[in-house]
Amino acid sequence: MSVKEKDVANWQPKILGFACNWCSYAGADVCGVSRFQHPSTMRVVRVPCSGRVNPHFVLRAFQRGIDGVLVGG
Amino acid sequence: MKRIGVFLCWCGSNIGGVVDVPKVAEITRTFPGVAFVQENKYTCSEPGQAAMVQAIKEHKIDAVVVASCSPRMHLPTFQKAVQTAGLNPYMVEMANLREHCSWVHSAEPENATQKAVELVRKAVAKVAKLEPLFESYIPVTKRALVIGGGIAGIQTALDIADSGHQVVIVEKEATIGGRMAQLDKTFPTLDCGA
Amino acid sequence: MVAAAQHPNITLYTYSQVESVGGYIGNFEVTIRKNAKYVDYSKCTGCGMCETKCPTKKVTSEFDVGMGQRTAIYKPFAQAVPNKPVIDNKSCKKLIDGKCGVCEKVCPAGAINYEDQDELVTEKFGAIVMATGFDLIDWGKLYGEYGGGTIPDVIDGLQFERLVNAGGPTGGKIKRPSDHEVPQTVVFIKCVGSRDVLKGKSYCSRACCMYTAKHAHQVLEKVKGSDVYIFYMDVRTPGKMYDEFYMRTREVDGAKYIRGQVSKIFQDGNKVIVRGEDTLVGQSVEVVADMVVVETAMVPRPDAVQVAQTVGFSYDKDGWYTEAHPKLRPVETNTGGVFLSGCCQGPKDVPDSVAQASAAAVKVVAMFSKDQMATNPQIASVNEGTCVGCLLCKPICPYKAIEAKEITERVHGQSVTRTVASVNSGLCQGCGACTAECRSGSINLKGFTNLQLLAEVDAACL
Repeated sequence: MSVKEKDVANWQPKILGFACNWCSYAGADVCGVSRFQHPSTMRVVRVPCSGRVNPHFVLRAFQRGIDGVLVGG
Repeated sequence: MKRIGVFLCWCGSNIGGVVDVPKVAEITRTFPGVAFVQENKYTCSEPGQAAMVQAIKEHKIDAVVVASCSPRMHLPTFQKAVQTAGLNPYMVEMANLREHCSWVHSAEPENATQKAVELVRKAVAKVAKLEPLFESYIPVTKRALVIGGGIAGIQTALDIADSGHQVVIVEKEATIGGRMAQLDKTFPTLDCGA
Repeated sequence: MVAAAQHPNITLYTYSQVESVGGYIGNFEVTIRKNAKYVDYSKCTGCGMCETKCPTKKVTSEFDVGMGQRTAIYKPFAQAVPNKPVIDNKSCKKLIDGKCGVCEKVCPAGAINYEDQDELVTEKFGAIVMATGFDLIDWGKLYGEYGGGTIPDVIDGLQFERLVNAGGPTGGKIKRPSDHEVPQTVVFIKCVGSRDVLKGKSYCSRACCMYTAKHAHQVLEKVKGSDVYIFYMDVRTPGKMYDEFYMRTREVDGAKYIRGQVSKIFQDGNKVIVRGEDTLVGQSVEVVADMVVVETAMVPRPDAVQVAQTVGFSYDKDGWYTEAHPKLRPVETNTGGVFLSGCCQGPKDVPDSVAQASAAAVKVVAMFSKDQMATNPQIASVNEGTCVGCLLCKPICPYKAIEAKEITERVHGQSVTRTVASVNSGLCQGCGACTAECRSGSINLKGFTNLQLLAEVDAACL
């Protein structure tokens, strides 16, 4: 296995999540309460509603080098 | 520039058992604007809150990050706490190190610590931009409208009326009573519906 | 019921509906349509003479769910509150073509008024409690294999209630609709329309297991020597004294529970044949019955969605009203000042409805305990300097909180008037949908501003 292939195999995308306070953020909390293990590369920004997520925020995240954006609402 | 205080919570072993909190504290001290960092066994407890209030006063902190559990759980708690210390209650932000970090990454403590650092950094960045907010007050018309005059509407109306407030029941049919009036005896006691 | 009518603090608007709702928490302005009753309630004594003499006697009774008949001028039932009649303008001969007028002649109080019109009243309220209740699913349309509503002796649970009710069309004697004979063999089928993803509703209607047991108990008690069969998927009896009640129906009264579904119901002479399966013994079964009761799914009232849209709060895919949080805020909606009471939120039995009703009342009373209420400051605000007044934000707002506003300002020494968006702080719930819609970035959400969220994004992406 070449170094490059090894990197690819271990690569984890860094994900930015926008989570609605009332549903998906609450869901992420429940995920915690149920100790549901998942990759540690996601960061969640709490918003009052998925409708608050301005497309600019998503573009800015990609500009800053994030690999994926998840909008939950 | 604001003087930001960061309060890192162990939550007993819930956070502290996975995340290397002292390490997070050490890194947090280097973030721009952070004037004070404190660790606490339980930040939400009475001594935890008292320590926070004291630190805010002593170190002239004007915005606070509490890195503990979900803001859906304890944000109102800490809003009250900073208020007793003389801060605007909207000058608090929480980093969710428990539900979103230690509980779900307990198998990989190093990554969890790294994530905790980033969550705190994110909260500090937001707090740096926070502004005090003020509630406004609106008058309340002390009259209630109940739409539907079945057993639920009647019960609600009676309870509100008994407390001394005016209630209007709007019912589509020519009589109140709704479904309950149509029923014969009801379980489990088999008493009448009227 | 009577307690509500007599309470000095309660006003009843029966035969009325909500026409429109404006305003916001603490300050709603509600227009109510009082439908024409054609009876002056200030004069009517409720003597009932009009009902006795009304020549139009064969109108299907809504209250008796089609099991009985009423007159054109009618009280839904004898103990109605208020105990005064209304004239149904769809069946009254006088109102349809002017040929009658009997009730006016016989009324000793002179209370009949054929010229009566709908009346609109607008009143102010601080809080609105929704208590619109439930209906039963239209099983006839969905379940052709059960006769599709064409077999007269296949009735639903609410019709059975009217049959067994002392105030009902049979005086409480259980007689089947087709020939008024007392049925000796009665079959109950549970979960018709409930827990049926393909044809009915996915949810459990929650009260049916218990009222089916009650229905079975009532047949066995009132019709000596009768046989009762109950087809069921599961028996769910969570509640105080519930399982004991069910076990008594089964063990003491002798109701025969068959675990399995019914595949076909058809008429054979004066009998109703029920074919199904007993999954516990793995055999098909056939019951020759005199009457069948389908215990059908609870659904919202047919106009529930329309009412929700009028008042302005959310509902789910089935039309049940959505609570603000399933566990922590079960009697509030996401619209401030609008609360939920009883079955409009989802299927419930009587104890649960009453408990939720009192809970909703407490929420209202708590709100009324202060003269003023604090509003959430994390709401949208408009920068009037940059707002161009395009008002794209107005239709996007789910709470109808954005209005156009005229502002006047001095430009180059001249007074100029232009339109900008304006946020009503009482209505705004702080969702921020308007901020994402605003092309010029002129609306911001306090507490979640563009700068604050971008700072978070930047910090998270380092």
